[in-house]
Amino acid sequence: MTEDVQIDPRGYRFGAAVTLALAIVAMLLGPTTAGLIVMAVLVALFVPAALVGPQASLQGAIFKRLIRPRIGAPTETESSRPPRFAQQMGLAMAAAALVLGLVGLDWGFWVFGAMVTVASFLNAVFGFCLGCEIYLLLKRAGARAA
Amino acid sequence: MLERVAILVGLLAVASAAYWWWQRRQGRVRTPQDAHVLTAQTLGEPRGGHATFVQFSTPMCAKCPGTARLLRQVAAEHRGVSHVEIDASVRLDLARELGILRTPTTLVLDGNGAIAARMDGPPTPVQVREALDAVKRRATDYSI
Repeated sequence: MTEDVQIDPRGYRFGAAVTLALAIVAMLLGPTTAGLIVMAVLVALFVPAALVGPQASLQGAIFKRLIRPRIGAPTETESSRPPRFAQQMGLAMAAAALVLGLVGLDWGFWVFGAMVTVASFLNAVFGFCLGCEIYLLLKRAGARAA
Repeated sequence: MLERVAILVGLLAVASAAYWWWQRRQGRVRTPQDAHVLTAQTLGEPRGGHATFVQFSTPMCAKCPGTARLLRQVAAEHRGVSHVEIDASVRLDLARELGILRTPTTLVLDGNGAIAARMDGPPTPVQVREALDAVKRRATDYSI
């Protein structure tokens, strides 16, 4: 927990692009069987990154194997903690979309699916980590309530 | 299907616009009119004789190490300027008192510990120098 793994931010961004692509497909299919299967794949892809960090994810492995050899070593690395926090949020939202879709609450599928889409879009296109921005706000709110 | 594509494109356009608006405010140098004075005791580290960059970070913050590197570099280029990094998730008292809403937020203190400038979000090198100039302006105000 205290050990801080450094990751290549471009790899994490590639992971967000994978998430974005799947989320868009799920949104286009809607809460149908096919759409729910895509959402389930998305949830499964989030799990290792949320528990361990993006370095443990399938997207990370693909990046390491196929993309980084072509673009060279990173000029800057980042702590894996902010992305992991963001991935936990992503996992929660994708899981909420899946569960609500499965029990027939279509609005939940749309709302949480849209949140995953927007968050991964901001990360993939602009390199903006929404989860990191939210962290301190949560901390502050928690301390005030206590 | 066409309807969904349109809604999705619209949603992402709104997200892009929101991001663009937010991005423009990054690191903008403000000169707050508040009477806060931060002592070395409050900071837990000595202040610089001329100016001090007080950077609020959290362990989860992705842009904080880059900002810390930039501020350390600028501090090293100027005599009497130092850099202090504070974990806002530990010093919640300070974060609340000073209204730190996001990290990195950097306060620039003058030689007396008063807040001369403030930058919310990661600043560019130009913005950091601009903030340091605000200290200089303030120093002139006092000495004349």
